[in-house]
Amino acid sequence: MAGIVCAIRGGPYSRPTIEKSISLSIEKGQKIFFLYIVNLEFLSNALHANIQIMEEELREMGEFILLLATESAKAKNVTAEGVIRKGKVIEEIVAQCKEVDADYILLGKPQMGQSGNVLNIGTMDAFADRIEEASGAKVVYVEGNDAEESKK
Amino acid sequence: MMRKNQKNNILIAILIGVSFLLILSSQPVDAEEFLPNQNFLIGKVADNQGSPVIDADVTLLDQGGNSISEALTQSNGIFTLPMPNVFSNDLTVKIERHHFEELLVVVDNSDQQLLQAGNTVSIEDQVMVRVINIGFWVATGIFIVVLALIATGKLHTTLSALIGASLIYLVSYIGRPFLEDIYIFNFERSLQYIDWNVIFLVMGMMIVIAIVEHTGIFQWMAFFAYRTSRGKMWLLLPILMLFTGIASAFLDNVTTMLLMTPMTVQIAIALGISPLALLIPEVMASNVIGVSTLVGTPTNILIGSFGNISFNDFLSNLTPGVLVSFIGLTIYSWFIYRNNLKKAHKPTPVLMEKLAERGKITQPENLKKVGWVGLGMIVLFVIGESIHLLPAVTALMGATALLVWIKPNIEEMIEAVDWTTLVFFMSLFIVVGGIQEVGLISFIAENIGNFVGDSLVLSMLAVIWVSAFLSMAIANIPFTAAMLPVIGYLTATVPGAESKVLFFCLSVGAAMGGNGTLIGASANMVMAGIAEAAGYKISYADFFKKGFPAVLITVSIGTVWLFIKFVL
Repeated sequence: MAGIVCAIRGGPYSRPTIEKSISLSIEKGQKIFFLYIVNLEFLSNALHANIQIMEEELREMGEFILLLATESAKAKNVTAEGVIRKGKVIEEIVAQCKEVDADYILLGKPQMGQSGNVLNIGTMDAFADRIEEASGAKVVYVEGNDAEESKK
Repeated sequence: MMRKNQKNNILIAILIGVSFLLILSSQPVDAEEFLPNQNFLIGKVADNQGSPVIDADVTLLDQGGNSISEALTQSNGIFTLPMPNVFSNDLTVKIERHHFEELLVVVDNSDQQLLQAGNTVSIEDQVMVRVINIGFWVATGIFIVVLALIATGKLHTTLSALIGASLIYLVSYIGRPFLEDIYIFNFERSLQYIDWNVIFLVMGMMIVIAIVEHTGIFQWMAFFAYRTSRGKMWLLLPILMLFTGIASAFLDNVTTMLLMTPMTVQIAIALGISPLALLIPEVMASNVIGVSTLVGTPTNILIGSFGNISFNDFLSNLTPGVLVSFIGLTIYSWFIYRNNLKKAHKPTPVLMEKLAERGKITQPENLKKVGWVGLGMIVLFVIGESIHLLPAVTALMGATALLVWIKPNIEEMIEAVDWTTLVFFMSLFIVVGGIQEVGLISFIAENIGNFVGDSLVLSMLAVIWVSAFLSMAIANIPFTAAMLPVIGYLTATVPGAESKVLFFCLSVGAAMGGNGTLIGASANMVMAGIAEAAGYKISYADFFKKGFPAVLITVSIGTVWLFIKFVL
């Protein structure tokens, strides 16, 4: 099975990535796997955080974000599926690419000065190399604001 | 392996036992022990602020400098030296205590004659003078390091406090043989600084919260707010803020935000608006309304226990001011987010269906039970003061009642009790105890006392606004814990402050001030983390831009209310 993995977090920065994955899917005729990763690292320093409950809540929130993405795809007659994984972001993206034998992996390109992204300008090339080596998927970075494609 | 029921019974038995012990400890004790045919030399030792000096070594010396009687000062600073049957005249009382100058008191002749005649004699109260030595600076340094570690988030909050406590023990036990003055206090003394009322109240409430959070009430509340508002943003915003605030007042604001945030994010996404336009007002409401009850904020739990302020006192003295602050906060929130909120559109049927599915009560039977027990707990919190029932006992009894009635999985309940938070509080008490022991708190209290003089107005303004601004920069729990003895000193010395108004000022300043920055309150950080996980990041600068004016508005209203209530 081949497909397009589109890793998203929701929010305005993910919209161009979703749009790009839909247009790529139409072009290549492949199914999209929208991927949301539950990562609880931000709670590591928090007092009184029930990790088990929080994991459930973030899964639910992720499902909602994925539902939005799959609805966008369906509106353009594109086959899409939402996938939730839990763990470290980079490892889970690689695992998902391997699992579905993805041809493409779409990621939001980190912006200059934008913090909080798992990738940064300095590590994106190395990350792309790692995924391509591990899964054979082609990495496509999508600009956050104008959805301008930036292929490696 | 123990069976589940056995484990349940053991936990319940422990909770009942602890409740019983706390009830016993909360009863006033007035019995004193007297030995027949024994006379004593009695005295009282205080520091230069009038606070009793506890655990001072008191030795009665005869003419040759030999020890003929020994005692320790008690929690009220009083020592009782039993007199031997035969002793010479020229008696001297030697009083020694770490971090104080040694004190020698010559017993005057008339008192010695009375003692020789077999009478008990009370000498005049003694004042010990503090010394600033290397131990003072080491304890101060450790406290600052702990604050810095918590503020930067480099280490887990609990680990930061635990490192502080361990460093105090390290220098006291390992450093002392090399440098006597580096000693801060020993393990036994450090335990006296731990406020067990706080520990058990937090633990009891954790068990209650662990049961509540499984019922789906938070998600239902968020969806109910949406349904009630019928998509009108000017209605949705205040309802969500009010629900979050009320939940925070009776549970804790971190849990409330942990559970309200994901559902709020989904509602906002469905409406096509930025979740931050709802989340930031929600968390600010959580921090503001939480001030109105004893259990609403961790700082109030600390203040209530130290200042002996009841659930009723918080409700009656702060609620009106908090409600007006909330109205001010709501108007401000609408003003800053109105353009974003007005962009809301009707959710698609698919998203609406998903929201409705999430907004259901998942455990209706348990929720009913929680409601009854919760009601009983509120009644006990309210009447507790009149029957000497500590809030910790009520929390433990409520937790026990829920465990007996609902019979949840005991493994889950044990996991739900956040032991790291309890260890954090215990370690923090030890670190703050360290700076109290070496005299830093006394030093600060004395200087603030000199600054405010006899002016209650100046004291109130100083406490509210210094607390508010410092709570933006440093975590408000350790700040409050350190400020409590200072407030205690000011309450005892500033005319008019005996109403405990300064404790309420600290409560308002520390909790509402937390709205100023992202690190000002744990709930802020949790909300921001979840929002970021949904792709909506809020930076420290962005939060400050929204939060700082909110602090000015809410704390100003709080200040005016406290003046109306306690001064005018």
